Amino acid sequence: MDKTDRNYSNGKITVFWQPKKCIHATTCYRELIDVFNPRKRPWVDMNGASTEEIIRVVKLCPTQALSFKYNEEIAEEKKPEPAEVLAEARVMEDGPLVLKGDFKIFDTDGTELRHLRMSSLCRCGRSDNLPYCDGTHRKIGFTGK
Amino acid sequence: MTEATENTNHVPEVRVESNGPIVIRGNFSFRDSSGKIVSGEQEIRICRCGGSKEMPWCDDTHLIIGVPG
Repeated sequence: MDKTDRNYSNGKITVFWQPKKCIHATTCYRELIDVFNPRKRPWVDMNGASTEEIIRVVKLCPTQALSFKYNEEIAEEKKPEPAEVLAEARVMEDGPLVLKGDFKIFDTDGTELRHLRMSSLCRCGRSDNLPYCDGTHRKIGFTGK
Repeated sequence: MTEATENTNHVPEVRVESNGPIVIRGNFSFRDSSGKIVSGEQEIRICRCGGSKEMPWCDDTHLIIGVPG
């Protein structure tokens, strides 16, 4: 975006004006002087015509020095992306707790456990490889939502 | 990556408590065995003694029956 660029809004749409692209074809003010009047400052008056009429004339601009967007569209673009969840903890029915993605896992003595993408932690209490699941839940018929 | 993502991008921590539950804190998705997903900043305590009556949550039953390790 150039520092000479301007924008004008009527609450519904915003018209963008990029003077560096303008070749003074005069189309806009011949079509709609009530909105596009180079003798006035600001030279664009968004209350001079209906939204539909403004859009019609903006589209006629041969160089796209004039362009527009619906304000709803602009608001949508400004919305931050929902924070991406990079980690999922999943309880398997009658089975372990599965950790997928970025977690830091600490054992009972506080040491950090190696975690590559996925770890399964025992929920039945009977694994021979605690804190990890070793499949013992199947042998003992562990049930747990 | 957006600024918002960076700001909330702490890696969630899982602590296996000695004679207690698995405690998970931070921004993560939790999916229970029915498939229901809760995402966002949260802290949960998952039973690992196998004896909770509130599965998958710890209800302190380990204090009665003990948990190995």
